[in-house]
Amino acid sequence: MKTAFKNSFIYKNPSVLIFLSALAILTIGMTILSEGFGVGLVSTSFIKILGKTLCFCLIAIAMDLVWGYCGILSLGHFAFFGLGGYMVGMWLMFARTKDIVINSMVNAPLPPTPNEIRDAVGSQIFGVVGGSEIPMIWMFADSLLIQLLLVILVPGLLAFVFGYLAFRSRVTGVYLSILTQAMTLALSLYLFQNDSGLRGNNGLSGLQNIPGLTEVSQDIISVWFLWASAIALGLGYIIANWLISGKFGSVVRAIRDDETRVRYLGYTVEIYKLLVFVITAIIAAIAGALYYPQAGIINPAEIAPIASIYLAVWVAIGGRGRIYGAVIGAASVTLISSWFTGGQIPNISLGFYTIKWIDWWLVILGFGFVAITLYAPSGLGGLFDRLVRKQVNEESK
Amino acid sequence: MQEASLLELEGVSVSFDGFKAINNLSFQIGSAELRAIIGPNGAGKTTMMDIITGKTKPDNGSVLYGTPAKSLLRLSESQIARIGIGRKFQRPTVFENQSVFDNFLMALKKSRSPLDVLFYRLENTDLERVKVLAEEVGLHEQLERTSGELSHGQKQWLEIGMLLAQDPKVLLVDEPAAGMTPQERMHTTNILKKAAQTRAVVVVEHDMEFVRRLECRVTVLHEGSVLAEGSIDHVTNDESVIDVYLGR
Amino acid sequence: MIRTFLFLVVYFVSVLSVSAQQNDLQSILNQNSKAVERASRKTLQPVLKSLIDSKLKEVPIFLEKWRAKKVWIRKSDKQFFYINNKNSTPIKLIDISSGEIVGLEPKNKLKQLKPNSGVRSIIASTLVQFQLIDIDKNRRLAALKAIERDANSSHLNALRATINKEPLPSIKARMLRLERLLTIRFDENPTKRIKAINGFAGDTNVDVRAALNPILQTKIAVSTILPEDKNIAKILKVGDSISTQVAYDILVKNKLAPAQISIQERDKSLIANIKNSEIAGIKTSTLDNEQSRIIAYQTLVKIGAVPDFVTNEQRAKSLKEFVFFNQYIETNKTVTTAAKKTLDTINARVKVFSFIDLGLDGLSLASIYFLAAIGLAITFGVMGVINMAHGEFIMIGAYTGYVVQQFVPNYTASIIIALPLAFIVAFAAGVALERLVIRHLMHRPLETLLATFGISIALQQLAKNIFGTQARPLTSPDWLGGSWVINDIISISYIRVAIFFLALAFLFLLLFILKRTRLGLEVRAVTQNPRMASSMGINPDKINMLTFGLGSGIAGIAGVAIGLFAQVTSELGSGYIVQSFMTVVVGGVGNIWGTLAGASMIGGLQKIIEWFNPSNTLAAQTYMIIFIIIFIQFKPKGIVALKGRAAGD
Repeated sequence: MKTAFKNSFIYKNPSVLIFLSALAILTIGMTILSEGFGVGLVSTSFIKILGKTLCFCLIAIAMDLVWGYCGILSLGHFAFFGLGGYMVGMWLMFARTKDIVINSMVNAPLPPTPNEIRDAVGSQIFGVVGGSEIPMIWMFADSLLIQLLLVILVPGLLAFVFGYLAFRSRVTGVYLSILTQAMTLALSLYLFQNDSGLRGNNGLSGLQNIPGLTEVSQDIISVWFLWASAIALGLGYIIANWLISGKFGSVVRAIRDDETRVRYLGYTVEIYKLLVFVITAIIAAIAGALYYPQAGIINPAEIAPIASIYLAVWVAIGGRGRIYGAVIGAASVTLISSWFTGGQIPNISLGFYTIKWIDWWLVILGFGFVAITLYAPSGLGGLFDRLVRKQVNEESK
Repeated sequence: MQEASLLELEGVSVSFDGFKAINNLSFQIGSAELRAIIGPNGAGKTTMMDIITGKTKPDNGSVLYGTPAKSLLRLSESQIARIGIGRKFQRPTVFENQSVFDNFLMALKKSRSPLDVLFYRLENTDLERVKVLAEEVGLHEQLERTSGELSHGQKQWLEIGMLLAQDPKVLLVDEPAAGMTPQERMHTTNILKKAAQTRAVVVVEHDMEFVRRLECRVTVLHEGSVLAEGSIDHVTNDESVIDVYLGR
Repeated sequence: MIRTFLFLVVYFVSVLSVSAQQNDLQSILNQNSKAVERASRKTLQPVLKSLIDSKLKEVPIFLEKWRAKKVWIRKSDKQFFYINNKNSTPIKLIDISSGEIVGLEPKNKLKQLKPNSGVRSIIASTLVQFQLIDIDKNRRLAALKAIERDANSSHLNALRATINKEPLPSIKARMLRLERLLTIRFDENPTKRIKAINGFAGDTNVDVRAALNPILQTKIAVSTILPEDKNIAKILKVGDSISTQVAYDILVKNKLAPAQISIQERDKSLIANIKNSEIAGIKTSTLDNEQSRIIAYQTLVKIGAVPDFVTNEQRAKSLKEFVFFNQYIETNKTVTTAAKKTLDTINARVKVFSFIDLGLDGLSLASIYFLAAIGLAITFGVMGVINMAHGEFIMIGAYTGYVVQQFVPNYTASIIIALPLAFIVAFAAGVALERLVIRHLMHRPLETLLATFGISIALQQLAKNIFGTQARPLTSPDWLGGSWVINDIISISYIRVAIFFLALAFLFLLLFILKRTRLGLEVRAVTQNPRMASSMGINPDKINMLTFGLGSGIAGIAGVAIGLFAQVTSELGSGYIVQSFMTVVVGGVGNIWGTLAGASMIGGLQKIIEWFNPSNTLAAQTYMIIFIIIFIQFKPKGIVALKGRAAGD
């Protein structure tokens, strides 16, 4: 009986229980303080920032799995995040535009035909890029279910094809990183074109308005999305811990440390890497699909290579090779960043020069990150580990 | 005199940028045989192992394995490992961040497919098997330790233990005794000898004393091909061997 | 003297010389008084004709004054005068023949002629024939240019009349060429035209194509049987070389077939026939799909309210009765054939030239990539380190150039100072980065990549804080401005030529350093086997520091070069960083020739893809990157790979 418990998932991963409790407390607490459901101490915009931060935590978990555990420094996971956002954004934009169009046609002498509605939706959405035809890739945009499936399928497929090609030719290390960066760049450049079928650099907008829920205020929707993001993050945390705790995790970490040796043990390394790459791409895509309805707008600039590098920075600051490290890194950097750039901190006047934090935050982040890489390679999570171990040691004495 | 061979290299050559690392090499080993390979630096010992394990593809020649004989040339490293050829590298390469037990578990002969691995649950038979293997290589008290903490010799044994856990039919061992104390060497010799009772074991070694203690047939490589083959006494008395190797 | 000369020319120009009744300018004008006063494009021609036909020597001056709005009319007697200063009171009147002041009048007794711009341009083109024989060669050249810009048939005769009198050979040659071009366009004699056309075979100048293309202009025509008297370019097969819809629309336009009812027209008719929310007894609320709308319309057809649909069968039947063809607007077949033949030879040559031009473009892009990437390649090759801040070193170089120009206003001098200074500044930055960061991350390439990225964001933001977000100019000296124009198709800007030579210089300099100097020897040793090199007494720390500095320094110089043709912003470098990585990866690590090959391939490829799809450079970059990802599949170590064990696994 006792050994059965000892072998159980929770026993092996005590952080899961702690993390889930903390997440639950945060979410419930924020709900109580929110404007939509509670006493209104916390603004809706802050609820949205929190919800978005949770999505960043989720993609950071994906990044930690693929980089911290599998050793693939992917500079492309934000591309999957963005693709997920685009897939769900297509439905949000299409369905809402359709509602608006139908409303505007109510008083037409003849009731609109499906073709007329489609044409009107097309010119509404694509007028901005000088088109009115609805491109082929929007063929399922009317169906929430299919678009949700595409959130998983499109980034998954891209990750599969790219990963298959890259791992098959045994591209590793910095080469692989640069290749993933190239993939991201190619995708964002493609999306920047006006004839990409996704509105070029205008991107998709108005995503915060959920079709069919126009009556519900953003105060309430923001809390719903906070819950959705929290649940996704919780599930992601459990799945990530489950993946890395067993023999699979053992093999994946072994691949990170010595790929060749794992091959001589008889494992087909490429398949394992591909699996991790695709799974994490899908997690990233889900995070993106939850993020963009809260952000309200998505455009190709979000997919630019720099975003994926920031992702790596979060994970590095949090301490890679620790799932909670990724969460700590993503949460702390994004929250501090929105604090600095949000103008909440008073500028410091030196007489001859005024330090504006909005201008200097990136300088601090850049050099701070270098310092962390140099002096605390295991990141904030590493500090956390050391504290816990100290505690345990003192108790055992 | 010899039973049908388990692994057979025939006329294998490979060159890097015009330098012939292996030159028309032929080599056989039976299914339960211990064989030592010696030769000076650059004789092609490591390259030969690379060819057998699929890391290097030869320019010509054939590599056949098992009954019925099957060519290894079109298989990947992991496929070759799965059909029963295990390899230990010169430098001990164990997964230092993981426990000795996890190292064993990874090597244990089981399905290598990702899904099976993902849904793997530790069974008692596997637990027992790991314990037996650990005992065999003398690491049964170190199972919970992180393998990075082990001494150099212990890492070598762990790697040999992991090889045995794979249950290969052919074991390729590159300099197992390097950096070991005399006692550790004894222990290593015993492990290898015992392993060779049930499978083919190929040991590459520089240390003649160690080779002598293995009490097996010796193949001498020189400039990518076989210079001499026979008992240790036979080859140490061979004129050409003395010239190129022992004489110095 | 000049006046007589002018007179003679006007004499030649006049094709139909009808002697005027009165050879006096004022009286000619008076005869056409109304047309002169209210000149319009339509009424102008007869006036100009009678003016020119009069062969009066004052005509050119009058035309010029007219165009310049200096001709006034006295309201009382409708006499014309020139007025040079309309602000003097009273206004001085100048006689249009003698040029003498002949009287004074208050302004309200006079009326200024204000020809509109259309009229003025016609007057100008008429004036050209006088300007062609002007004594001032600049005015003659200006006249030639005016004809080249906007020719009409009258210029042909004017030009022919003047060519032989032209004293300057260079202008004469130009006139001869222009005469041939105008012959093609305006001559009525087909033999002369064909001769002129054939003379231009292989001439790739734009003006030749501009003259030839109109001859080959076609229009789609339709007829029941193929007419034999028309100059037919091509017979159009319906559904093949002309779409069924377009063909039928032509029939409808020529009233040869009944019009089709479009969806919009159908719905308009439906809406027009709504009575009490019903159309012919059908409720409008049911008309929310195509099917029911068609049925409703057909109901209207039955009661005769609207014309019937044209069915596909009817359409096909109508189309079968006619033949469609492309017809040259030019009626003479021999002329169009000659034009086509000449144009084909020209187009073939244009293709060759534009390919050469493409090659030059590719070469220049390759030199830029080479300059941007070579520093990266050196550091990557020697140290195995990817420097994400490399782009920021390029930026540092560009800003150095900008700062130098703030202190040294002479552009030539400032560039000469900026190049070495950019090298020094970037070199110092590189050495600092190596000593402070990279050295401590040895053998952890992925961490180095990220740490240098941290440096990159910090430096970019610092540059923004110092120089602001707006683009700063880095102006090139005049001798680098403009382009080297070989012909109408091949041209390249001098800055790009200079960058090409700069890249070439660095190629040879680096080759020299690596192959012929002690430093190069040590660098190569460290590249191939750092452990062995250090055991042979080479200090790898020093080598690393120097190579990193060298790589960064070259990036600084690349920054000055790039800044000369692009605006200097804090994002200048990051725009080149991914391409530089690609160049290094594709070319192969640790080899200058590899970088050269990589840069050539990427630069060339990008231009070739742009050639296929010139409107879309974004797509070109996308396809190029996809191509590179696939390329890496087949040559994971790049075009020029290090061989042997040194390549490492």
